[in-house]
Amino acid sequence: MNVLLKILAHKLFALTVLISVGMWFLLIPAFTGRLGANPLETLLHESGEIAIWTLGAVLALSPLRVLFPNSRIVMALNRHRRAIGVTACAYGLLHFSLHVLYEGGLDGLVRSLSKPFIWIGAAGLTILLILAITSNQWSVRLLGGKNWKLLHRLAYVAAGLLIYHQAIAGKGHWAIARWLLFSLAALQGARLAKTLLQKKRPDVPRRISQNRLQPVQIASSVRFR
Amino acid sequence: MRKVEAGRPWEVPTWAVTSEAHYLHRREFLRLFGYGIAGTALLPATMRAASAGFPDSLNPSFKLEGAKLTSEDSITSYNNFYEWGFAKGQPQELSNKGWKTDPWTLEIGGLCANPRKIGINELIKLVGGIERRNYRHRCVEAWSMVIPWDGFPLAKLIDLAQPKSGAKYVKFTSFFDPEQCPGQRSNDLPWPYTEGLTLPEAMNELAFVATGLYAKPLRNQNGAPIRLVVPWKYGFKSAKSLVKIEFVSDRPKTTWNELAPNEYGFYANVNPNVDHPRWSQASERVIGGGFFSGKQPTLMFNGYEKQVAPLYAGMDLRKNF
Repeated sequence: MNVLLKILAHKLFALTVLISVGMWFLLIPAFTGRLGANPLETLLHESGEIAIWTLGAVLALSPLRVLFPNSRIVMALNRHRRAIGVTACAYGLLHFSLHVLYEGGLDGLVRSLSKPFIWIGAAGLTILLILAITSNQWSVRLLGGKNWKLLHRLAYVAAGLLIYHQAIAGKGHWAIARWLLFSLAALQGARLAKTLLQKKRPDVPRRISQNRLQPVQIASSVRFR
Repeated sequence: MRKVEAGRPWEVPTWAVTSEAHYLHRREFLRLFGYGIAGTALLPATMRAASAGFPDSLNPSFKLEGAKLTSEDSITSYNNFYEWGFAKGQPQELSNKGWKTDPWTLEIGGLCANPRKIGINELIKLVGGIERRNYRHRCVEAWSMVIPWDGFPLAKLIDLAQPKSGAKYVKFTSFFDPEQCPGQRSNDLPWPYTEGLTLPEAMNELAFVATGLYAKPLRNQNGAPIRLVVPWKYGFKSAKSLVKIEFVSDRPKTTWNELAPNEYGFYANVNPNVDHPRWSQASERVIGGGFFSGKQPTLMFNGYEKQVAPLYAGMDLRKNF
């Protein structure tokens, strides 16, 4: 168990998994000729799928930490949140580059940006890019912990935009996107419920629990009292 | 250093000598070739749709000079045929697991003097055989191919049916077989798939009924054994695997138009000036073009303006998209 946890918590493990996904779904099919009759389109779609599910993975980790505070596996995985988030952004940027290539250059790109489907995706990716750039200690110090946290809560806005982008990308896509949306919503709901229930218990020292609360939750807990 | 071999004029140069491997394979080549001529009896079951009329010959009016044919492999592996799933590769994979497209009966009915139910091979004989036409194919998803179809003009079938004076539209209905067909077991689309044309559109010389491509019976994933091909319209108008063709007085309900009227019009003529809500229709990606080919400009009526523009004289094509 300890060995497993050590592996799970190791940076090399996270890096291997995150890169393998791209190898498996993009590189290997590309080099073995399994991308089909419209290979660029396949790469475009696959890279987008990888990006959004990677984003989903990182967003699932913080509620899991609240829900299972004693799980050492969850704790080990939570060490990789920054790496996973930055990777989601990297796959997103690859997806965007492939879109530019697919459209055949700048003219096509500009034309495509007039469609809500495209600019909503681009807006989501822009948020991810800002978050990736500010995902270092230097930025935390520069912005101050509170501001930094607030800024990084934009990840939820990005997720909303990007899941919408995924859902309308084609027929049948909503059937896939809804799994991501519903699981993330369920996790966030459970986390919120748990935090609120803990807040109501008198034996929990208020200062400590309040430090971990989010503004939204404080507001709603006030209403509950 | 190697000596350059100076050959005598009568000598066959080394490069022209048939390799032993090729020499030994000639029998196999002859055997395969012979099978091709022997007809479709020996084709795999999945390629045994309507086999009447082969071999056919190219109609020189539809040679499509200068166009590069899309590879047979691409045409038969990249399909929108949602009866078999949403992904492009699924029709090839799933429609060839025992789905029988021969024998197959087409019903011709509605407002016409000669309604009938007829087998596809019999129909082919009745319309006087098939011919080959190279057509541009433009999908509403902004990709395109050039496809050598084998079939006959829709007008010949209409002549056979003798529509009555009240007939204004032609309605096309695809097969419905949820037991065989995984996509039809869900309600993502209202099955069976239906499409429609105005009678003048259906009578146009370009409107075509395909029973083959690349000089072979239609593959299941391409809409075997009989499908519509309307090359100046987006691909979804060209309904596949037809079981019924009816002459009707009112505009028929058509699948994609019913599902998303703001995205897919009844006419669905290829038009670079009217965008889809999610993407531009000004250009298209040519299948088989490679990673850096970009897109090529889309032509009005998919390049068939001369033949079909009169059908829409005075019509606001932005409104009637």
